[in-house]
Amino acid sequence: MSSPSSLRTARAAAAPARPGGVRPAATGRARLALAPRFPRWGRRAPRMPFVVLVSVIAVSGIVGLLLFNTSMQQAAFTATQLEDRAADLSARSEELALALEDLRDPQRIAEQACRAGMVMGPTAAFLDVDTGRVIGVPEPAVRGACGLTAPTPAPPTRPAPPAPAPAAQPRGVDVASPLRFGAGRGVAR
Amino acid sequence: MHLRLQVGFLVVALVLSVFTARLVQLQGLDPRQYARLAAAEGKVSVVLPATRGAILDRFGRPFARSTDGLMIAANPQLSAQDAPALATLLSRRLDLDYFETLERLRDPDTQFQYIARQVPAARARAVVADAVERGLKGLELRNDPVRDYPAHDIGCNLVGFMGTGKHGVPKARAGLERAFDRQLAGTDGEARYQTGASGRRIPLGDNTVTPAVDGTDLVTTLDRDLQWYTQRVLRQTVLGARGDSGYAVVLDTRTGETLALADYPTYDCADPQDYPESSYTSRALADVYEPGSVEKVLTASSLIDAGLVTDRTRFVVPPVLMRQDAPIHDYFDHDTLRLTLAGIIAVSSNIGTVMAADEFAPGQLRDYLQRFGLGQRTGVGLGGESAGILPSDAQWTSQVGDRIAFGQSLSVTALQMAAAVNTIANGGMRIDPSIVQGSATTDEGRTVGSDEAGLRRVVSEDAALQTMRMMERVVDPEDGVAPGARVAGYRVAGKTGTAQRVGPDGTYDGSFTVSFGGFAPADDPRFTIYVVVQNPRNGGGGGSVAGPAFSRLMTYALSRYGVPPTGAAPSRLPVEW
Repeated sequence: MSSPSSLRTARAAAAPARPGGVRPAATGRARLALAPRFPRWGRRAPRMPFVVLVSVIAVSGIVGLLLFNTSMQQAAFTATQLEDRAADLSARSEELALALEDLRDPQRIAEQACRAGMVMGPTAAFLDVDTGRVIGVPEPAVRGACGLTAPTPAPPTRPAPPAPAPAAQPRGVDVASPLRFGAGRGVAR
Repeated sequence: MHLRLQVGFLVVALVLSVFTARLVQLQGLDPRQYARLAAAEGKVSVVLPATRGAILDRFGRPFARSTDGLMIAANPQLSAQDAPALATLLSRRLDLDYFETLERLRDPDTQFQYIARQVPAARARAVVADAVERGLKGLELRNDPVRDYPAHDIGCNLVGFMGTGKHGVPKARAGLERAFDRQLAGTDGEARYQTGASGRRIPLGDNTVTPAVDGTDLVTTLDRDLQWYTQRVLRQTVLGARGDSGYAVVLDTRTGETLALADYPTYDCADPQDYPESSYTSRALADVYEPGSVEKVLTASSLIDAGLVTDRTRFVVPPVLMRQDAPIHDYFDHDTLRLTLAGIIAVSSNIGTVMAADEFAPGQLRDYLQRFGLGQRTGVGLGGESAGILPSDAQWTSQVGDRIAFGQSLSVTALQMAAAVNTIANGGMRIDPSIVQGSATTDEGRTVGSDEAGLRRVVSEDAALQTMRMMERVVDPEDGVAPGARVAGYRVAGKTGTAQRVGPDGTYDGSFTVSFGGFAPADDPRFTIYVVVQNPRNGGGGGSVAGPAFSRLMTYALSRYGVPPTGAAPSRLPVEW
């Protein structure tokens, strides 16, 4: 709303009321009104309590807000601290799980077992603990070299493949009849 | 009184006019720039990396797992001034490219730039602490898990590994890591929050967090300890025979679950860069070769199923069999032999097998082999799997058919062949082999796993039983060719294979593929094991090279899973008449 225009309207409305015609009647009425002068200030409610109340509300509001904010900040710091701690602990737990898993590595277990003189059983045999019966053919384990448990070989440094040995065919070897493979089809010799 | 009112209104009017003007300026002239400025003021956006799912064995032990690591990031607004010194430090300590790092440290358009991802936590902290000590500002640490392969080379050919893609972002490079990347990866989240002048988060500031969705673990059917043993035995076998390469497959007969699948040579997925790229795939799934005589058990069981022969059918096996274009020989010189079908299998006679296969109607053997799963991918869920080669009907001339009957002129993968042999073990029902336990969806959208394994009858239970009895004669110390494959105390059924190998030029180059496939206990099979060695140079064949490896693996598997011998007497099927 544009205020200058309303100002003008107000002034225009007030102007006709000024001329003298109205004044005598107003004076007469005023005179009547003047007689009983009641003490305006005496009856009013005391100011102090209100001021105090407002001040208390305002101050306690500010203080409360301050405290709230502080506690929020405090909580945020605590939360951060706890989060850090949780992260630390979960990192630690993960680290331990990792270490455990590394200890369970079959290669590691095999190497340690072999160093400790343990040997893999050469046969599968079972003892029925109820009847004392042996199932299968047990054989004593013989200690050998730890060849099988040798660690993962280093990345290949490929030596030139040795010349193909003449294909000896000892008994116990079944070699399919000699054939040449030509143009995708077998061509028998 | 009126004057005061008028002045008051005037002041209000003036103030409102100023506000209006400012409003028009802000909203009308360039609203977006101001919104951007306001949003950027003290706001930080952080990627919350999703933790990648682990790849586990059947007992929950990890082949691959993700552990705490950190990413080093830079705020170029702060780091730009010391960029050269920082770039020198970072490139030296973290093996980064100097110029690329420098560019990132100077990027004027952002407050956040990756410098290095997946750095082990201790190393990342040390580098950043070092930078702070030298008074170099602008680096920060963020959570970023590291991929770890605690079992090193165990199972790597299947598991694969995570390499590094663009901008140091990890990228699945091979194996299950790649095939199931989407499932394992999860979805990164994001946190946006406001910071004060100190860089600390404002507790009641504007905060939005989209939490990361962690990846889902992939459980395999593999048994990590058995896988270790299989890989070590295979390595010893290949090196002992001075072979080029080898594969070994251990299947659970009843479920088709792959308990172990070993390749040699292999690599260490924790340090893949040290090994040639050719070693990353699983050769047991990718390499195709001619299976040789192990295939005879498929021919024999098909013949029996078709009702054309029995395990006791008698054959007169001449020293040489003259066929259309060429003579067929056996690997050993012999006079005319009087062998039963069991005898033909026990001594692995090519001539006898071809004579028996003559009973087939045209196309019949091909149908059987197809139902055994040859010529088709097993679909275990890994990429790079080969289908093998089963000649089409048009290519199936009578000469080709003769050779296919004893395992030449067709190509298989090791897993395919293991699954085919397992069909005999499983009473004639072929079960799809699986590597994923339960069910999982590959990135290509195929659902695979042990829950999805299809089951189909290939040969009758009786045909499977007769074939099993014939296969038992193979490991017989007197009548068979592979006594080395026996397992003390158990009934074992198996078959040797010594096939001629096709060289790079497409012709037989004089080298061999030796193999042994079988199962135990023969009368109640629990495991099917298939061992292959390519190009052994010690003159050994399927029985002497792969047979003992089969025996060791079978012994270990039986004792590990507590499978007692059945106690029944082995078959005494006559081999001669």
